[in-house]
Amino acid sequence: MAYSEKVIDHYENPRNVGSLDKDDPQVATGMVGAPACGDVMKLQLKITDEGIIEDAKFKTYGCGSAIASSSLVTEWVKGKSIDEAAEIKNTAIAEELALPPVKIHCSILAEDAIKAAIEDYRTKNND
Amino acid sequence: MNYFQLFGLDNQFSIDLANLSTIYQSLQKQVHPDRFAHASSQEQLVAVQRSTEINDAYQTLKSPLLRAQYMLELRGVDMPDEQATVGDVSFLMRQMELRELLAEIKFADDTDAAIFEASQVFESEFEQLFSQLQVQLSENTEQSNGLACDNVRKLKFYQKLQIELDKLEDELLDD
Repeated sequence: MAYSEKVIDHYENPRNVGSLDKDDPQVATGMVGAPACGDVMKLQLKITDEGIIEDAKFKTYGCGSAIASSSLVTEWVKGKSIDEAAEIKNTAIAEELALPPVKIHCSILAEDAIKAAIEDYRTKNND
Repeated sequence: MNYFQLFGLDNQFSIDLANLSTIYQSLQKQVHPDRFAHASSQEQLVAVQRSTEINDAYQTLKSPLLRAQYMLELRGVDMPDEQATVGDVSFLMRQMELRELLAEIKFADDTDAAIFEASQVFESEFEQLFSQLQVQLSENTEQSNGLACDNVRKLKFYQKLQIELDKLEDELLDD
């Protein structure tokens, strides 16, 4: 199966790979996994007191499409409010990367990672 | 007729694979195209369909994870969509660690030893979840079936780890 140019670009030059300090109260961590392919994704967001995402890092073990999906969302969420980020849909990710149907689960993984990170942020900040 | 009935087996998780294979061969023999060479096209079609069904049944029953999943389906357990993600954080943290362990093998002084160590770790964690799954399937309560379902999904990650490890082993062998 051929990967789209955008997938290859993100795969070869992934943006924002790495980790943020998980003990920083401003840092939220979202972890998700896809049993269908065994992919694991960690997305971390650094969120200002105003609820704006100022930084994002990811670490993904999986195929090219999973890496590209996570790399893309780190670019997309930066500068967004958490409410705006929560609106990102997997279909938009799949469309941007021209993912074939068998790789849609990679975009679902990325969407769920954003949601998990936001949920982590909300739990952390309601305590 | 479900796959267990098709193979004349009890609907239970533990299966003798050698016996399964023997039954498979004999069932396939019954529907072999040679036996239907002079039959009507309708009969030939039925034989082909049956052969496909026997094959699907065999592939499902042969694989412990597919078999477990199939049993849960027969019990009417609402399995999450194949694309639904897993959100158990501590489990996923552990998966990340295991993936890191896998990624570091290449840089080990003794890669053979590192591969062996990793496979031991994967295997023992797989076995632990797998034996829980066996107990949960035999309990067959609503709660245990739900847990079995989670465990099937988790075991798939270990299957993937093993595939990645095998791939790495091949790569290192080629160098």
